[in-house]
Amino acid sequence: MSSFIEVKNVSKSFKVSKRAKGIPGTIANLFVPKYEEKKAVKDISFAIEQGEMVGFIGPNGAGKSTTIKMLSGILYPDSGEITVNGYVPYKQRKDYVGSIGVVFGQKSQLQWDLPVIDSFELLKAIYRIPEKMYKKNLDRFMDMLDMWEFIDRPVRQLSLGQRMRADIVAALLHSPKIVFFDEPTIGVDVVGKEKIRSFIKKLNAEDKVSMIFTTHDMQDIEKTCNRLIIIDKGSKVYDGSIQNIKEKYGTTRQVEVEFDRNYDISPMKDIMKNVDIKELNEACGRKKQFIFENTEVQIDELMNYLLQNYGVKDINVSEPEIERIIGKIYSGEV
Amino acid sequence: MMKNDTMHLAGVYTKYVMKSWFQYKVDAVLRSLAVFLREATGIFVIYFTLLEFDSLNGWNIYEMLFLFSLLFVTYGILILFFTGLRDFGHTVRTGGFDRFILRPRGLLFQLIFCNADWFAAIGHGGLGIVLFIISAGKVGVQWDVVTILYYIFAIIGGVLIQGAIFLFLATLNIYLLETGSIKELFYFNAREFAGYPISIFSKGIQAVMIYVVPFAFVNYFPAQYLLRKPDMEQYPEIFMYLTPVVGVVMYLLAYGFWRFSVKYYKSSGN
Repeated sequence: MSSFIEVKNVSKSFKVSKRAKGIPGTIANLFVPKYEEKKAVKDISFAIEQGEMVGFIGPNGAGKSTTIKMLSGILYPDSGEITVNGYVPYKQRKDYVGSIGVVFGQKSQLQWDLPVIDSFELLKAIYRIPEKMYKKNLDRFMDMLDMWEFIDRPVRQLSLGQRMRADIVAALLHSPKIVFFDEPTIGVDVVGKEKIRSFIKKLNAEDKVSMIFTTHDMQDIEKTCNRLIIIDKGSKVYDGSIQNIKEKYGTTRQVEVEFDRNYDISPMKDIMKNVDIKELNEACGRKKQFIFENTEVQIDELMNYLLQNYGVKDINVSEPEIERIIGKIYSGEV
Repeated sequence: MMKNDTMHLAGVYTKYVMKSWFQYKVDAVLRSLAVFLREATGIFVIYFTLLEFDSLNGWNIYEMLFLFSLLFVTYGILILFFTGLRDFGHTVRTGGFDRFILRPRGLLFQLIFCNADWFAAIGHGGLGIVLFIISAGKVGVQWDVVTILYYIFAIIGGVLIQGAIFLFLATLNIYLLETGSIKELFYFNAREFAGYPISIFSKGIQAVMIYVVPFAFVNYFPAQYLLRKPDMEQYPEIFMYLTPVVGVVMYLLAYGFWRFSVKYYKSSGN
C-alpha cells in the first residue's frame, strides 16, 4: 500500500546565471552566459497519509517552496518520484489540480476590484463545482469564518485578515483533498490568526483534509500540526512529532521570578554558575529570568534555593520554545 | 458537452471582467475617450501633413485613413482577447502564472479570457470604425458580397497575425525577466511604420514588414486588394490573398513555441 502523498528521492536544481563583474563581463555574459548549478532540493523522501497536518519549515532558501511547487505540479523534479492521491502532479496537471487547494499568504487569487462573492462564483465555474456542493461549502465556510458581513465588499476594501480568510475559502470551495498553505497568517493580527487556526483545525478534524503548511510563525505549526518536517540546505533534517522534537532537543528551561524587592544580581550569579541570569526591566527590576539546561541544573534545587534565600512573589516556568529549538537546528548546534 | 462547459467559463470570465472594467461609468467613458484621442492625435498630424503634399506614393488622404482604419480595427479586437498576453510579463514576475497552472483549465485559455482591456478596445476600435466610416465611401471600393467577405477574412487574419506576435513576445517572458523594450521595438515601433504604404520605405524595412513582423499583411496588402494602387506592381499578386493564411500559420508557430516554453518553465522555474 502506498501512502496518500509519496515523495521518493526527489532532487531539483536550478541554473543560476553567474554574473561577471564590470561592463566587459556583462557584455560577455550576453553572448556566452555562464551558469552555476544550485541544488535547491537534495534527495528528499517522505510520506504523508490522508488527514495528516504537516508543518513544513526551514530557513529562507532551504528548498521549502521548491518542494511545495513540485508537490503541487508547478515544477518537474530532476530525479525521483512524486505521487499524490494516485496522480503524478507534474504530468497529470489538469486532472490533479482539481483535487488540491493552494493558499499563498502573500499572493491573493481574488479579483481585486470585485466583491468577494464574485471571485467565488468565478472559481465555481473554473473548477466546475456542482451547484449543491458550492452552496453547501459556501454557507458552511461563511459561518465558520464569520464572513457574511464582508462578502459583498470589493476585495481592495478588506483588511488583511479578512482578505486572508476569503483567500482560504477560495482555495477550499471545490472540496480539495489536500490543501497547501504557504504563510497563511502572515501579517494577520492575533485575533485573526486565532480564527484562521481554529478553522483549519476544525476542517481537518471534520473533513479529513490533508494539510501541508509552510510558515515562519511557529505558533501556526504548534497550534495546528501534529507533525513537523524540517528541511535545511535542500535536505530533510527532521521528520517527526512536535512533542518529540521538544523532548529531544528542548533541554533549555526558562524560569521567570518576581521578587519582593530589587536584589543584587551578582551574588546569585556567583552561586549559580550554570545558570544564565538576566534582569528584566519590567516591575522596576524586581523580575529576573533564569535560563539553564535541565541536564545540568535541577529545577527543584533552583526553586528551593531561591525560596529559602529571597522573598519571592511569583514564579513562572515556561516550556522550551519551539522557535529556540528550531533556531538551534538551523545553526547546526544540535 | 466539453465545449459547452468551456464556453460557459468564457462567458463567466467575460461577465466579471466587464463588471470590473465598467464599475465606474464616468471613469470608463473618460478613459476610453482618452485612448481614442491619444491615437487620433497621431492621425491628425498625418492628416495635416498630407494636406500639404496631396498624396504619398499615389495614396491620397482617404486611402491613407483607410489603411489606418485596418490597423485600429484589428487592434481593437485583438486587445479584447490578448490583454492577458500583453501583461504576461507582470504575471510571470509576480508568480501569477503559478496560479494559472494550479487551476484545472488550459493555460492559454485562462490567459485569453482572464482579462480584456476594454478601454483600449473601445479607444482603438472606435477610432478604427470612425476612420472606416470617413474613408470607406471615398476610396472607390464597390462594397458587395465578395469585398465584404474579403474584408472580414482580412480582419480575422490581421488579428491572428498580431495575436501571434503578442503570443510570441509574451512567451519570451518565460526566459527573460524584462521584455518591455523588445515588445516596444517589435510590436509598437513596427506598427508605427505600418501606418504608411510600405512602398515608401527602403527595401530593408519593407522586408522586415513583410517577412519578420508582417504588418504588411495586416493592412497594406488587404488594402491593396480593395484599392488597387499602382505601387502594388512591385510585389507578388498572391500577397493580397495571403493574410488569413499568414495569420493561421504564424499563430500555430507561436502556439508551438508557447507549448514548448511552458514545459521549460515547469522544469526550470523562474
